Amino acid sequence: MGLVQRAIETTGLPTIGITLQREITRRVRPPRALYLRYPFGHPMGEAFATAQQRTILVDALRALESVSVPGTILEPGYRWRRHRFA
Amino acid sequence: MIPGDLGNRVAVQLFRRLPWLGEAWARRRRVVEADFVPWAPMAKPVRESVIALVTTAGVHRRADPAFDMTDPDGDPGFRVIPVDAPPAEVRITHKYYDHSAADRDLNVVLPVDRLRELAAAGLVGGVAPRSYSFMGHVDGAHVRTLMETTAPEVARRLHADGAEAVVLTPA
Repeated sequence: MGLVQRAIETTGLPTIGITLQREITRRVRPPRALYLRYPFGHPMGEAFATAQQRTILVDALRALESVSVPGTILEPGYRWRRHRFA
Repeated sequence: MIPGDLGNRVAVQLFRRLPWLGEAWARRRRVVEADFVPWAPMAKPVRESVIALVTTAGVHRRADPAFDMTDPDGDPGFRVIPVDAPPAEVRITHKYYDHSAADRDLNVVLPVDRLRELAAAGLVGGVAPRSYSFMGHVDGAHVRTLMETTAPEVARRLHADGAEAVVLTPA
């Protein structure tokens, strides 16, 4: 996915990518990434967990404005099925 | 059922139940290593920007062809999903991850409803009219097709759609 992200960013569109694979992201080097230690298939969290999905999306959107160093990987640290989202 | 497919299904379940296994797998996986980082600055705040979604989770409309699951190097193509497509018209074809949660709630991999809510609340300037999906898991000669043809084509379409920033989600 990082390759697609890089291809889009290269055309002048700012991008943020959620990633569940920190090591691959470190090597592929997309411009902005948000890493979650979640299982494959759950980049936005769990089904019907509206608050969780919204929080992750807002985090990603904020990163578009806050990240100033290319290649930054943010880690909010939400623990899978442990963190309580409000 | 052929043994290779059974093995894949067992692996999919293991990756779902053991998040750290994905990291172990990633350390061994061959990837295209990058020597520079592309960068496009935000032209204006998110609350004034049109946001588009792109995923590599194998999402497509039922009316469109499914992603090719028979080619071991994957399918380098993409599918277009209108943001107002009813959930019943959208499905996922991808045998390399457990999409049972996303089958019940597409927002698990493509947060269209959450993005529209943020736009309605004024936190996002607008929602691009279309999302784009790849299947991920692209390897071999298809990587070149992805990088030289299909990913740039999606970028062109995103610009044409009026997108001003893009959120990408993996499988």
